[in-house]
Amino acid sequence: MDLTLNDEQEALRTATADWCRDHMPLEGARSRPAGLWGDLETMGWTGMTAPGLDLDHATEAVVFSELGRVLAPIGLISTAAAHRWFADSIDGKVALALPADEPRDMRVLDPGGANVALMWTAGGLRLFDMPNDRTHAPTIDPSTDQSRQEWTASVGTKDAAAPLHLQLLAAAYAVGCADAARDMAADYAKLRHQFDRPIGWFQALKHICSDMAVRAAVARSQLHYAACSLDARDTDAAFHIAAAKRLGDQAALDNGRANIQVHGGIGMTDEAAPHLCLKRAHLLQFIAPADAALLLEDAA
Amino acid sequence: MDIGFSVEETRFREECRDWLHANVPAEKRPLDAADAIGFDKAWQRRLFDAGWAGINWPADYGGRGLSIVQQVIWLEEYAKAHAPWIGANFVGINHGGPTLILNASEEQKAYHLPRILKGEAIWCQGFSEPGAGSDLAGIKTRGRIEGDELVVNGSKIWTSFAHVADWQELVLRTEEGSQRHAGLSWAICDMHAPGITVRPIRKMSGQTEFAEVFYDDVRIPLSNVVGGLGNGWKVAMSTLSFERGTGFIAEQVKAGQEIAELVTTARANGMIKDDRIADQLSQMRAEVAALRAMTYRNISEVVRTGQPGPEASVIRLFTAELGQRLERMAVLLIGEDLIDFAYGDDNAVQDYLRGFASTIAGGTAQIQRDIIGERLLGLPKSR
Ligand SMILES: Cc1cc2nc3c(=O)[nH]c(=O)nc-3n(C[C@H](O)[C@H](O)[C@H](O)COP(=O)(O)OP(=O)(O)OC[C@H]3O[C@@H](n4cnc5c(N)ncnc54)[C@H](O)[C@@H]3O)c2cc1C
Repeated sequence: MDLTLNDEQEALRTATADWCRDHMPLEGARSRPAGLWGDLETMGWTGMTAPGLDLDHATEAVVFSELGRVLAPIGLISTAAAHRWFADSIDGKVALALPADEPRDMRVLDPGGANVALMWTAGGLRLFDMPNDRTHAPTIDPSTDQSRQEWTASVGTKDAAAPLHLQLLAAAYAVGCADAARDMAADYAKLRHQFDRPIGWFQALKHICSDMAVRAAVARSQLHYAACSLDARDTDAAFHIAAAKRLGDQAALDNGRANIQVHGGIGMTDEAAPHLCLKRAHLLQFIAPADAALLLEDAA
Repeated sequence: MDIGFSVEETRFREECRDWLHANVPAEKRPLDAADAIGFDKAWQRRLFDAGWAGINWPADYGGRGLSIVQQVIWLEEYAKAHAPWIGANFVGINHGGPTLILNASEEQKAYHLPRILKGEAIWCQGFSEPGAGSDLAGIKTRGRIEGDELVVNGSKIWTSFAHVADWQELVLRTEEGSQRHAGLSWAICDMHAPGITVRPIRKMSGQTEFAEVFYDDVRIPLSNVVGGLGNGWKVAMSTLSFERGTGFIAEQVKAGQEIAELVTTARANGMIKDDRIADQLSQMRAEVAALRAMTYRNISEVVRTGQPGPEASVIRLFTAELGQRLERMAVLLIGEDLIDFAYGDDNAVQDYLRGFASTIAGGTAQIQRDIIGERLLGLPKSR
């Protein structure tokens, strides 16, 4: 038993964070450069657990929480999962379809540059062709577009680990998002002065930040445990990943809100970054959400 | 990262389970400290004789010299087996002993550690004073140096188990005119020494478990000072790091047991059909899982670096507040039976009332939030 990062994981984490800082900063989330996707493929993040690379989920979760921290494209989640489970049938970017009941239109997130979309349901993953003549519309999250489409031919996997994998990656994004809001708030609380001192001196603000740190640390611990349980193919893996998703989502949302309060007026502007975290958090709630009933089940 | 246990650890877990299964006392631990002291001592002695005391303490002083992971395994099985709270042995086992292991002289360790492990010596913690609670550096109890002795005058308050204790972790001012963190010392005080008066205090939950302690020219040999005269603040901080760090593992582990029981109760009485209750329970189920993950992470950190990570303060606060949420839920689930609560009842209401301590004792939730903000996030110090 060891829940600390090993040297390789720590090195990958740092390398990811460094690259993101230089090439994919959070502040640029709403207008990523055109060639970005190619870079993400080169970095290997589109298929870390795919045949060939075969890294473990623990390492992948560590890297994905760094990517989530800069609000990296949502399509990375679906693409990484698709490369693990449908390696033979895909090439390039895979968009993320939200669960829908046939024949209701499905909503596809981050469709730009993708030919197929991956739909998550608790029971499995399915891959759908995407029409060429489609329009892209914005979502609440300024970093993410969407399209609508009818049901098309699909291939699927019923491997129980497949939906867990995607849920784990979404949880990692949420944990990263919670981290980002915490750090943004703490940085601002040190920088901004009122009453002749940094606002972080005031306990009313300091304690808001401390609670953000607690939520992020709690969610992060569960994320790492959950990733290990998937690697071990534990019978409890579904429970632990659901717990990680629930805590991650909540931390992202609560921290997103708190971050705006810490920033005061500027936190409400379109120009400043806090709303990007909040809106990403709202979007993540709909991606592979945790099943409350599962959390109450007996095992685990 | 991995969450598997080694073959040796798994075998160790089985040994723990088997022994506990055969040996956990059928009778409940009495609630009041004065009634429980015999029980606590006897149980600790049994643990010691069977090799379960001081699992990760050095073998030279009566411990087993095993790993902290094995200590955690023991505590997990301990909670599952519904073994009794270690009660009056809490201070000695959880932070007194560990403080001595880290800071004390060979003689001090050789004398005290085996006695703590055998349940022969009960310890209490004399930190808080009427004027020094959250602001611990405001300590006024003073020790005048006379020859090779300290002559102590002053008072302490909220000292758990003082009325049944043999020894005390006493933090006092040994340098006249010193201020705040300077001039303090951490001394081993004999609770049976002349000049000590203990006035027990009753809690709102009914039992008499802590006390006020008065010192009137109490003589303590200078050889009882731990970590050197004037270094009391540093030693006290190591005590608190154990109290707030590894000292809480037992509670963290117990939470897993408690949430499982709450879900069972809510199913049995049908209250789980209330969506709000179901939602809170599922939330706490996730939180309890995360608490275990955090505990494991912190333990891994100890194994790797020799000390708990900076997140220990986060775990401490989260454990305390989650514990209280669990206790509140338990009280909600018993419904109207709450009205019948009487002093002496050992039930969910008792636990709920006692549980208010977890965000007060050992540093309040507010102080913990200051620590997290300042040490983990680097925000400016408020005080
Ligand atoms: C059950 C129990 C057992 C205990 N056992 C022991 C023991 O064995 N040995 C021992 O030495 N002590 C013991 N204590 C004492 C405990 O450590 C103190 O109660 C605690 O440190 C708080 O001090 P206080 O009670 O004086 O409260 P105060 O410090 O007066 O605090 C009152 C309120 O003000 C808040 N507050 C104070 N300062 C600040 C600040 N700077 N910023 C924001 N809020 C602040 C506190 O959070 C609290 O809500 C025990 C306490 C309890 C409840």
